[in-house]
Amino acid sequence: MMSLIVAGSLAGLVVLAVLLYGERRRTASLRSQLDAAAEDLQHMQLACSKLAPAGIVQRLVAGDSVASLTVPERKVVTVLFADLIGYTAISEQLEAGVLATMLNGYFQHMSDAIHDNGGHVAKFLGDGILAHFGALHSNPWQCDDAVRAALAMRTAMAEYSAELTRNGLPALGVGIGIHRGPGLVGLVGSRDRMDYDFVGRTVNLAARVEALTRVHHVDILVTETVREALDKRFVLEAMPPQIVKGIAEPVVTYAVRQPQPSTASAV
Amino acid sequence: MSVPTGLTHVPWESCAVEPVHDAELESYARRKQGICLPAIPYFAPVPWLARAVIDLRPEYGLLLQVEQQLVELVTLIVSQENSCRYCYAGVRALLWAQGVSKEHLERIEQQLSRANLPAKTVAAIAFGRSQSRSGPAAVRVACDALRTEGFDEGEIKEIAYVVAETDFSNRAHTFLAIPARFLEEMPNRWYQRLSRPLVRRVLLGRQYRGRATPLDGVPSYPYAGIVEAYAGSPIAQALRHTLDQMWASPHLTQRCKLLMLAVIAHGLESEVCAIELDHALEREGLDRIVLIEVLAHLDSAELDDCERLLVSFARETIWYQPAAVQRSARALRRTLSGPQLVEAVGVAALANGLCRLATIVMSKP
Repeated sequence: MMSLIVAGSLAGLVVLAVLLYGERRRTASLRSQLDAAAEDLQHMQLACSKLAPAGIVQRLVAGDSVASLTVPERKVVTVLFADLIGYTAISEQLEAGVLATMLNGYFQHMSDAIHDNGGHVAKFLGDGILAHFGALHSNPWQCDDAVRAALAMRTAMAEYSAELTRNGLPALGVGIGIHRGPGLVGLVGSRDRMDYDFVGRTVNLAARVEALTRVHHVDILVTETVREALDKRFVLEAMPPQIVKGIAEPVVTYAVRQPQPSTASAV
Repeated sequence: MSVPTGLTHVPWESCAVEPVHDAELESYARRKQGICLPAIPYFAPVPWLARAVIDLRPEYGLLLQVEQQLVELVTLIVSQENSCRYCYAGVRALLWAQGVSKEHLERIEQQLSRANLPAKTVAAIAFGRSQSRSGPAAVRVACDALRTEGFDEGEIKEIAYVVAETDFSNRAHTFLAIPARFLEEMPNRWYQRLSRPLVRRVLLGRQYRGRATPLDGVPSYPYAGIVEAYAGSPIAQALRHTLDQMWASPHLTQRCKLLMLAVIAHGLESEVCAIELDHALEREGLDRIVLIEVLAHLDSAELDDCERLLVSFARETIWYQPAAVQRSARALRRTLSGPQLVEAVGVAALANGLCRLATIVMSKP
């Protein structure tokens, strides 16, 4: 009888041990799946940060509703619009792979210059770049930041072009237009596809001003509104007023001459 | 597979200063908190800052109304928002030492601000995020949401203080790149797992609720309005003590500190702080035109080298990426002495916390 009880108890213990082992393995498996899901989530968040400002992605991941982010906010923002000079001719000369590598290098150098000076690259438009200063956070120094970014882009472009010509590729040039004005900031788009954007006439005028760099044969142009807010130690040169599409009055622009602020003022 | 929790993915530079051991200070930290946290020796060259990171912690007798559990959640989320690896790991380690399992911590991290938390907690977390990252207008909206959820004005002020203290602490630790590894790895070390019950006892034993404390007089320097707004709460005395010590500290001039505070107030569009600071700088003899120039362009021929460097640095501290601001802080070390750099970090960190707080406690609801 006693041996039966012992055998039964032992059998019970073995069954219990097997059950516990199974449970432990299931827990470990679930935990491993949870870890993988958490890692996927983090990778996704990092990937999404390349498509929208990281702060906005974090807010969405953290549970802020899209609706709360789509309420547009009226802000004064400085817009920088940059475009490659002679891109069409270059694109016809080069193989697609070489062209893509060259363009990616250009976008990277320009984005770094914008980011290092407090700007945010909103989007790439073909070979163009649209950047905002003061859209994500309040920034009373947005005009100085945008012009510093443009000067950094000028330097970076010269270095990148030198690198391209050393590799037997054509040199690149960039035209940059900067304008400051009001508009709406927020997530805009359709139910399926949204962009964090700044919309309004300010963006259009920045693009028009960039186009004027070809007319005036300069690389960086700012509008009167930017000049008024700009540190007077930047050396600017007034350009002749010019009619542009969609704007009734001729647009007065200034070319940025000085690579870094100094104590002299030219305007 | 390693668990991607915490903020270990955030790039973190090497520390900008060397630790300095100060037996008296470390003993003070142990008396007050039960342990001397590894950051204290890095702040030791500037005693007001080292004491502030201890004395301004809300869990040591500063709160009358808000529950400690909510404080910890808000601190965790604000530290995450500010990408402060040190403070985030610190709160995690604290929660873990208090008995929260690693698994439960991970669940909290994954579910923060989701629907399975009470609406009041969600509102408090949203408010914490908003106070840290948004301008005054958005903060007022978040503040209204707290009222809607039933928080009274006293509770709102306490939550706002918790967020401001976290903003201050996050910046102080982040700018100097205080090593976070020790705290991040704490729950993985066998000997710390063994000593966990003891650590828990020590830590919880030091925490206590605050008691109503009358404020004996209002100081006359900038940010005194915040001290006055907390009259009756132990927070007022703690803030006053920190501000007294900060203004009295000799490593940077009064004018330099005021300029840094003015730049931060301007960057955050905080009118209430800007007015106080304008007056204080006028009393220091700074020409109004020079101040306008400094605030508009962060430079003026009237500034000395140290001021020129630190107004630019102050601007960088408002919205920052940890690694970039850490590189800037380390670059300052080429010109500033160790104590000057630590003090500059302390002033910028405190200004960022208090300026955001002023929007709530110094404005009419």
